[in-house]
Amino acid sequence: MTDLASDAADQPTRSAARHDRDQWLRVVFLRCLLVVALLAIWQVGSAFTAAFILPSPARVWRTWSNLVATPGFWNDFGVTFGRILTGFALAAVVGTVLGLVIGASRLLGEVFEPVLTVINTISSAIWAIFALIWFGLSNFTTVFVVFMTAMPLILTNVWQGTRTVNVEFVELAQTFRMSRRQVLTKIYLPTILPLFFAGARLAFGFGARVSLVAESLGATSGIGYRLRQAADLVQTDQVFAWTLTLIVLMIVLESAILKPLERRLFIWKERVGD
Amino acid sequence: MSAVTLQCVSKSFTRRDGVQLEVLRNIDLDVPERSIVALLGASGCGKSTILNIIAGLMEPDHGALLLNGTPSDAFGDWRSMTYMFQEDRLLPWRTAAQNVAFGLEASSLPRAERRSRVADTLELVGLSQFADVFPHELSGGMRSRVALARSLAPRPSILLMDEPFSKLDPNIRSQMHAEVLRIAALRDVTIIFVTHDVEEAVVLANKVVVLHPRPGRVRLTRPMELPYPRDPVSPEVTEQVRSLRLSL
Repeated sequence: MTDLASDAADQPTRSAARHDRDQWLRVVFLRCLLVVALLAIWQVGSAFTAAFILPSPARVWRTWSNLVATPGFWNDFGVTFGRILTGFALAAVVGTVLGLVIGASRLLGEVFEPVLTVINTISSAIWAIFALIWFGLSNFTTVFVVFMTAMPLILTNVWQGTRTVNVEFVELAQTFRMSRRQVLTKIYLPTILPLFFAGARLAFGFGARVSLVAESLGATSGIGYRLRQAADLVQTDQVFAWTLTLIVLMIVLESAILKPLERRLFIWKERVGD
Repeated sequence: MSAVTLQCVSKSFTRRDGVQLEVLRNIDLDVPERSIVALLGASGCGKSTILNIIAGLMEPDHGALLLNGTPSDAFGDWRSMTYMFQEDRLLPWRTAAQNVAFGLEASSLPRAERRSRVADTLELVGLSQFADVFPHELSGGMRSRVALARSLAPRPSILLMDEPFSKLDPNIRSQMHAEVLRIAALRDVTIIFVTHDVEEAVVLANKVVVLHPRPGRVRLTRPMELPYPRDPVSPEVTEQVRSLRLSL
């Protein structure tokens, strides 16, 4: 009798697990189907258009394989990646420091709020043109554009983060006679970290995208420059190959670095639905 | 010797609308070493303010605070005093062991010493197996034990508690009372705690100070000489509870 009862109680959880796995398999299958369908549409489309408008998937694949084999590929790739990283790193440092400073003072917060809104409304293309005027055709043009796009995003998130700091925890640290610096590193930083991370992720994505705009306007190397060159010479397959490179890069960054890092950093968070 | 002495302490706050609010008036308090003193009173009688003044987080307007016989401004050993709050205030991003270690991080203990103290203290409150568990995975009683361990890890000579168990279920609460009594005897800690629960005061304290509100002042001080452990339903305890309730 008791066995029966426990069996009956077990049944729903076991079948729920199976249901979850089935659901997941179905999603994976449908995603594969989506990719195949898109490739098929692409293939059919390319059959009816000239290669300089829509090259076929096979042709793009060939171009990409050749492109990766050229020594210039890794050079351009490295240059662009380096510019994005530099701009992003500067934005992370400056955005975090400014966010903490503005967050620490109510007055500063109220003074700077409209400034942030104004900066956020300025298009990245405008920053690129300004950068071109100020810095000419140099690395710094791209770095500046990435910085101006990423910095406000990080600043805003860190600033919001300072508002979520729990006064009770600060008080607790004070009863243990902790210094201001200890309160900052042991209470403020861990509280802000999730919001910083969300902001940094967004900022990196935006930064990577606008870097290409900046490079196509004001650089003599890098992926953005190659894209424009390919477009000027109507080498549409090259444009597709570079685009493919960028997509692969972003997927690798997301699944190999950001996702695992996030999972590790925020292991302490309650899972939703628990 | 007295661990803590308050002499004629007064404190007022200025409310946001500019009105002066007298919170404490001429508080005299004597806490002998290794005693357990309960500050008992309804809300608004300045119990927490007294605790904050003793902890050095707040300056009295008038009067003096002596710690181990030394005036508070000449007292240097503030880390020998720890504070336990009404809420457990565990940092959600730290495991139980890391939360206990938090109490030690302000001092410059060597790493190995810190680790062994954390392990000892967790053992003391019976949570060794839960060292690597995060607060959200612990029950209310366990969280309270971790908070207690955090307060005990620096090996304080004085432990201040601000209604620390008021949010727990009654049976877990009496478990925590037994725990506190056991540890106080084991570690020679002087305990000053604030409560509005008469029974809690009678079960734990060997001296009960009854406060009256607006402004907070001492109504009476009564020694509790019943032997430990005190059963809350025994006639001696209920009699004390009854008579203290009348004075509230």
